Amino acid sequence: MASKMPPIQELPPPGGYSKINFARVPAKKLVSGLTLFGAFVVMQFGALWVRHKVTRPLLDYQKIEMRSATIALLPFLFAERDRAALLQMRRNRDAEADLMKNVEGWEVGTYMGEPIYKTIDEDGWHEPKKFEYFEHSDPMYLRTFADCHLRR
Amino acid sequence: MRTKGFNLPTEEELTVEEINLSTPSLRAGAFHLGKYCETPSQEYMLCRHEEKDIRKCVDIGKDVTACGLEFFRKVKKECLDEFTQFANCIDQSSVDFQFEKCRNTQAAFDKCMLEKLDMHKPQHGYYCRAKVLKTDRPKPPGYISPEFPDAPKLIPIPPAEELPEAKHGSRIFVWP
Repeated sequence: MASKMPPIQELPPPGGYSKINFARVPAKKLVSGLTLFGAFVVMQFGALWVRHKVTRPLLDYQKIEMRSATIALLPFLFAERDRAALLQMRRNRDAEADLMKNVEGWEVGTYMGEPIYKTIDEDGWHEPKKFEYFEHSDPMYLRTFADCHLRR
Repeated sequence: MRTKGFNLPTEEELTVEEINLSTPSLRAGAFHLGKYCETPSQEYMLCRHEEKDIRKCVDIGKDVTACGLEFFRKVKKECLDEFTQFANCIDQSSVDFQFEKCRNTQAAFDKCMLEKLDMHKPQHGYYCRAKVLKTDRPKPPGYISPEFPDAPKLIPIPPAEELPEAKHGSRIFVWP
């Protein structure tokens, strides 16, 4: 009968159990710290050299080219701008004369005969403020000229 | 803000035909244009700088604009296709009208200008250099030419043969 067979007892395998591996396993050391630091320095100086020899001359070339085109065009832009400015000043003066014609004692360009500048004579030139050109126009119209920086 | 005594040019004097072009087109022709209209441009900028009064430079300004118009008419007659391509490329390739992206169309335009109109593109950086203009326009009254009495003067150095023998060794090699 089966009950007559001796029971099989659980025992360690022949030769005993293998040892439990609890020792610290450090990662494989491919390069030393000094080599890494050296590589870092070499890369930094390499990048500096590339910037000095390649990138910077290219950027300078482009910058000079862009500036040259602007300088070559400036007289044409200034000529047009100056004519437009003088024309607008004349229109403003006419508009003010028309607006204040019913006010007694009003002189155009002055406050009841008192000039704005005492040290500049009447025919002397001074560069007006940008807003002065738009005195008698719609304030919303100024937005069109918000980016206009062509001044002396 | 101007009184009646302030002299202004009349509307007829100020109305001339303007260069009716947009920025990409102007920039496309900028290098050749600047060379073609070099004298009136320099005259105008000098006048603006010296007189400090734009009313006195209106006539020269008209010359400048007329010269620009003449140039662009020539370009329109001879090199319209190349010019349009180049301007279009400048317009659409970058946000700030760079020439860097348009080297092919620029080369075509330069070649056309050289062959048909005999206009050379100036050397790189030509417009960034300082220039001296010989002009017939008299200087404005009260203009003071700048003088620099404290400026360092050139020390006269005789040629190497006349120099005395060196006391302490060679003149060429210096110990570091």
